[in-house]
Amino acid sequence: MTAATQSLCSHCHLPVSIGGVERQLTGNRHRFCCYGCCLAYQVGQGNTEESTATWLLIRLGIGAFLAMNIMLFSILLYSGTLTDADEPVRRGIHLLLWALATPVVVILGGPFMSDAWRAAGRGRITADALISIAALAAYVYSALAAYRGGGDVYFDTATMLLVLFTLGRYLEATGRAQAVRNLEPLFQAENGWAHVIADGGDERLRIRDLAPGMRIRLRPGERAPVDGTVCDGRSEMDEAVITGESRPVAKQPGSMVRAGSVNLLGQLIVECTAPAAESTWAAISRLVRDALKRETPIQRLTDRWAAFFVPGVIVLAGLTVLFWSRDLPFDQSLLAGLAVLVVACPCALGLAAPMATTMGIGLLGQRGCLVRDGAVLETLAQIKGVAFDKTGTLTMGKPRLVGIEADDTPADEVLRVAASLERGSEHPIAESVVSAAEEKNLSLIDVFEPRAVPGLGIIGEMAGNPAAAGTAALMEERGWKVPSHLLSRAESLETEHYSLVWVGWAGRVRGLLWLDDRLRDQARETVQGLRRQGLFTALLTGDRRSVAARVFDAVGADAVEAVLLPQGKVEALADLSRRHGPMAMVGDGINDGPVLAAAAVGVAVGGATDLTRETADVVLPEDGLHLMPWVIDVAVRVRRTILINLAGAFGYNAIALTLAVIGWLQPVAAALLMVGSSLAVVVNSLRLSKHCAGQMADQT
Amino acid sequence: MSYYVYVFIAGIAGSFHCIGMCSGFACALGADRSGKRLPSILRHLLFNTGRLTVYAFLGGVAGSLSAALAMSSTAAVVTTAQQALTVLAGSLMVLMALQLFGLLVLRPVPGFGGRALAHAIGTLAAAQSRAAPVALGVFNGFLPCPLVYAFLAQAAASGNAGSGALTMTALGLGTFPAMLAMGWMGVRMRPTWRQTGVRLAGTIVLAFGVLTIARAFVPLDGLAPSL
Repeated sequence: MTAATQSLCSHCHLPVSIGGVERQLTGNRHRFCCYGCCLAYQVGQGNTEESTATWLLIRLGIGAFLAMNIMLFSILLYSGTLTDADEPVRRGIHLLLWALATPVVVILGGPFMSDAWRAAGRGRITADALISIAALAAYVYSALAAYRGGGDVYFDTATMLLVLFTLGRYLEATGRAQAVRNLEPLFQAENGWAHVIADGGDERLRIRDLAPGMRIRLRPGERAPVDGTVCDGRSEMDEAVITGESRPVAKQPGSMVRAGSVNLLGQLIVECTAPAAESTWAAISRLVRDALKRETPIQRLTDRWAAFFVPGVIVLAGLTVLFWSRDLPFDQSLLAGLAVLVVACPCALGLAAPMATTMGIGLLGQRGCLVRDGAVLETLAQIKGVAFDKTGTLTMGKPRLVGIEADDTPADEVLRVAASLERGSEHPIAESVVSAAEEKNLSLIDVFEPRAVPGLGIIGEMAGNPAAAGTAALMEERGWKVPSHLLSRAESLETEHYSLVWVGWAGRVRGLLWLDDRLRDQARETVQGLRRQGLFTALLTGDRRSVAARVFDAVGADAVEAVLLPQGKVEALADLSRRHGPMAMVGDGINDGPVLAAAAVGVAVGGATDLTRETADVVLPEDGLHLMPWVIDVAVRVRRTILINLAGAFGYNAIALTLAVIGWLQPVAAALLMVGSSLAVVVNSLRLSKHCAGQMADQT
Repeated sequence: MSYYVYVFIAGIAGSFHCIGMCSGFACALGADRSGKRLPSILRHLLFNTGRLTVYAFLGGVAGSLSAALAMSSTAAVVTTAQQALTVLAGSLMVLMALQLFGLLVLRPVPGFGGRALAHAIGTLAAAQSRAAPVALGVFNGFLPCPLVYAFLAQAAASGNAGSGALTMTALGLGTFPAMLAMGWMGVRMRPTWRQTGVRLAGTIVLAFGVLTIARAFVPLDGLAPSL
């Protein structure tokens, strides 16, 4: 469905396509999506890469200085102060302008030309080619005119085009980097620094070089670089990147610290427990990077379109010059042609999709919500309904002790015996019985020779007496008598589909435990949130009808289908999709693999590994079910932003191109318009971040 | 001609504002690495030439924009626009005067790319290259400044590119002495002198501001030089 492009821009983290720029900076190889990012990155890195950044700024400054002087002298020429008698002065000014313009074309035009040339070598004509051709044409024409000593010169046009486009690219790149700064915390996992406490004072180490056992100083405001345990200090931490939960979590000595969470209050000393690369944060970081590298269908479409568009524009510009040169002097028609070249620069069009997609992925990543790629966001924005698996998705997936009924014995004694017997078992029911006993601080009894009876329960010897916990059949097998009131209670509980555990010792049944699978706190809120968004909600489960009905009532979904085998879920989902449109499926990646894969968008809760195993397209953090409506909202807004960007850029191009062809647009004005349209795309996409972040704040 | 003299004087008065805002860059530029006198003077001349070019350029742009507008609208609209621009220019001067008197604190608005501009200036001020001062001057010239805005509005009101550029050139030349003195000689005025100077400058700028606003409504040919 998607093709991976090669890499991400070092400055704005957007994917680098064929028009990319490569630079060797202080020993590291960097790739940039455009010249603007290359500029902005070098300027931004001013402190560490002094010479390169300074040299670049000097070139920009000198280029602008010369271009402005050219403009000022041109004003003198245009103002009409010079008469025919001043011809030698005019000629002198022409030559001076030529002398001033030549370095500008080299200094500012050089990067555009070399990038255009490199892309041409790979068989692509890019926007850089349009700019280069326009500037060179104006320069060469003017140079010939100045040399011959006749006609007007347009050195001001040539140099102003270069200044405006350089400036535009720079501003655009700055804005873009600002837009995707959401991604910074995620990328820190790969290339951030940590303060390690060493014998001779603190030492700064790359996060990737941290090893278990090292002690790290975590100041307020810093992100934990690795998973670890607090050795010293008290604080609160924001674990939103991992759990999606923005409420602070208290930390004291002994508390677990998760990589990627932010220390909010006091300094902590953390001992590293696992290598940095193994943390969830690092996994999220890798996944987000992979997601960004994949091209989305809209992006591929616009890129393919641009590939035909640019050569088309060159032809159109040529035709414009030819057409006008029949009626107008050649220089006038040349200017019309140049305006066509400049105004049709498809920069904004190329930026429309990737910018919004990257911002969307970054926004979601900040809350620990991961998407496989931008294409998933596009599909997610168009779904008509969401189906949920029950066990482990809407419910906790773990049985919980609901009640105890005892016969002539304290209820706690029944629980104590059951927990003592089931202590060694890994069965989910056994685990929850043991944890219920632990919660009540019951001290467990030593069991002699505990033994599991497959499918029935556990038997053993306790203080010389036989004891058993398990099904009714196990009790019957022992020949133990069941008190009648327990029997009638059990019958009514079974119709409600609770799981039952019988407990008996010393020759008779002493009590009954019943358990159920608890609904997640935010299950109802989530389902209702989706319904408010106009989505159809359904429950698909392999469980019994009565259990399904109870959950269905509790969450208030639109439809329910029970007793489904994995393949049955796939069919049920296909049926729902036929009736309601594309459906997303929320489940756990282990049992629901087939149906997640079959859904338009498969969403797994709490398992980042599912993304790598390609069973899920979206992964929500553990306990992150309630983020589902927000995730869809972000997807919808990303898509809307892309469409607005595309419509705007396209409409803008069409109108401006028409004006240029009919000769109403000066090349410099055309360049201003073009730079403006790219900035408009950046600003429109920036709104996305503000809105979504604001809405998230409302929700929590 | 007398109009440009008036702008030049406004520039000199206004440069007390520059001393507060921009002399830091001039001082940071320092002396040439050779330590010789002439290259150091040259360094600061280049810096100020860069600045001057930007002002003149902006003036030309403002003038040609208003000329383009004038061509496509009626005489009444043009007159109103010129009045509005003149009032704007005068108001900015009054604001600046208030700032010089210490009655008003203007904070620079951090705009799109503003941080990048500040960063660029910081990098260039520290650079030792002989070409760096020109670039520094160029970037410095684009810093937001009420003095520049006030006279840009004047330049626009002048109605053509040439006089717009000349207006701003006159202003820039007016700021030359103070900036050169601050930067190259590193002259520091005694606090009391400086205080007096700032007050005097504030008064002059205030007077210019009021005159400019008045000129938008009343023909004051005898009082303030007109175009």
